[in-house]
Amino acid sequence: MVPIEHIMVFTGALFCIGVYGVMARRNAVLVLMAIELMLNAVAINLVAFGTLVYPGQINGMVFAIFVVTIAAAELGLGLAIVLRVYRMRSSINVDDIDLMRW
Amino acid sequence: MPNFDPATLDYVLLAPQFIVTGLIFVCLSLDLMVYGRGHRFIGWVAIMGLAVGIGAQASLWGVRSSFAGVLRVDDYSNLFNIIFMAAGIGVVFLSFDYAERFFTQPGEFYAFLVAGVLGMGLMAQAQELLTAYIALELLSFSSYVLVSYAKTNLKSNEAGLKYIILGSFSSAILLYGVSLLFGAVGSTMFPDIRAALDTSVATSAVAQIALLMITAGLAFKVAAVPFHMYSPDVYEGAPTPITAFLSVASKAAGFALTMRFVVMALWPLRGPVSDVIAFLAVLTMTLGNVVALRQTNMKRLMAYSSIAQAGYALIGVAAFFAVGDIAEQASRGVILQLIGYLFTTLAAFGGIIAFQVVADGRENISDLAGLSRRSPFAAFAIMSALFSLAGMPIFSGFMTKLFLFAPVARADLLWLVAIAVLNSTISLYYYLQVIRVMYSESPAGVTALNASAVAAIKAASIHHEEPVLVGAAVAHGSAHVPDNHGSSHGSHGAESLDDVAPASLGPWWRRRLTDGMEPELRFPIDPISIELRIGITLALAGIFALGLYPAPFVNLAYDASKALFAK
Repeated sequence: MVPIEHIMVFTGALFCIGVYGVMARRNAVLVLMAIELMLNAVAINLVAFGTLVYPGQINGMVFAIFVVTIAAAELGLGLAIVLRVYRMRSSINVDDIDLMRW
Repeated sequence: MPNFDPATLDYVLLAPQFIVTGLIFVCLSLDLMVYGRGHRFIGWVAIMGLAVGIGAQASLWGVRSSFAGVLRVDDYSNLFNIIFMAAGIGVVFLSFDYAERFFTQPGEFYAFLVAGVLGMGLMAQAQELLTAYIALELLSFSSYVLVSYAKTNLKSNEAGLKYIILGSFSSAILLYGVSLLFGAVGSTMFPDIRAALDTSVATSAVAQIALLMITAGLAFKVAAVPFHMYSPDVYEGAPTPITAFLSVASKAAGFALTMRFVVMALWPLRGPVSDVIAFLAVLTMTLGNVVALRQTNMKRLMAYSSIAQAGYALIGVAAFFAVGDIAEQASRGVILQLIGYLFTTLAAFGGIIAFQVVADGRENISDLAGLSRRSPFAAFAIMSALFSLAGMPIFSGFMTKLFLFAPVARADLLWLVAIAVLNSTISLYYYLQVIRVMYSESPAGVTALNASAVAAIKAASIHHEEPVLVGAAVAHGSAHVPDNHGSSHGSHGAESLDDVAPASLGPWWRRRLTDGMEPELRFPIDPISIELRIGITLALAGIFALGLYPAPFVNLAYDASKALFAK
């Protein structure tokens, strides 16, 4: 049995990689993928807590299914908007998208 | 999540939500059958459906129950659902003209709007974190689509991209917090969290990090500083009716969830929670007001003003843990503030939309110059809204601020009220600035014209004294007006052309407004469609009703507060 601490370190690292990706990546699609990493960390967290800490419940797994579904919907919507932006300005570099500031 | 048997659930409790859900699909399928101006019919269907939803929700007034333990149906969620549906109706009224003018496919727009209303209503009812999260995502997804709905508009696209990246980033942080809290507590029900926080769980690092992340996610939703960075860009780029929708309804939904979470789950941590909220409130109202001073874009100004108004509401939430009935009064103040802000924002944006529809979507404050002559009704709506936001008596802003600040002062948070009053004074500057531009400036391009026209008139009267030549000079001047729809409609030299303009027609008030204009530019000037007129009139009626006779609203808000604090 893997101890819960190991899984928490793993998901914490995954989440931080996601945060780093959102901050550092300039390509909008890669930013969306980094957000997916963060959501995956959440899903692993929920399943791990559900099976290791509260073994009697199925709540953790149910939550994880919801999270995965919402993540998929979010990515679909995000890609649609990215596609629209690309058609209008031929670029998905988030640094180029600067019509509005302050 | 408790065990339950689907057969024993009381589905009547969710009847209004079922109606709204059905309305989404009705609007979507109607879009397949209509074309052209037929989208107005879908809009009217959405209005009727939401009105039926309000009726159904009102019939549940006084119920205090919960659906499967995850959705709470009491006066608090009833009132918020009614507020959201009313906001939906208002925004649909504002959308007709704008959608027809700026969208390529206006039909589906209403379905997304109704979906957003459903998400907000569920946020107000949720008493379980995952349900709250799913409701919040339903609202967010509709908002992402609506913000980027003007498909060929660069600003709208940009706003949509920024919103979806920052929105999903913040909701991922919120969700990570939820998962950690689930690990620490073993449940995501608000009462269970509260029970756990009474024990040693409250001091564990996991629970504290989790609560910090959840706070950040909720603060993003109400656009509290320092989690506000997305909101000016999104509000500026979004289609104007959606700016109204986000700043009023989406923010109120964030407050509905935050207040419920704070009262039901975070009660054992009242000291630190109150401090954090007071800190956020001070940052939010100060930054919102100070940055608003420098804005030149009307929608961006309203975005910062909306941040500041959220700051005022937050000081009410900071007073939620005071003893006795002060907490209930503070929550009543917050709810009244949100209701007042609903009417005010709809009136302001109604006026702006009436202007934008004829002025090719322009939105700078300087573009509003002379609006009082071009479109007195729109100018009056914006003026009332801005006076109300600044907290002037007889407008709703005065009453709501009174009901909001008084309990906070009684809860030993007088310093917070002092900062809020100081901020109201700052805000007066930029609100009055807009009113000055609307009421006492000539439209852009006319000043130069006046100078040349006056010079021509003087030259003509000195050398020839022939009216024919004067007329020719004025006509010549008119040709120099830039060919943009709005400004050529303005007042043409109010004082200088008095002697050459023919006698004004009509009653005295109309003459006051149109004196000095060329005959063909006289009243009525900018057309406002009947739907937009109804929307603005309803919002204005709300502003003055709340400002002059607030008793019914106060009673409703007080019932809701009692339900919120009920054991």
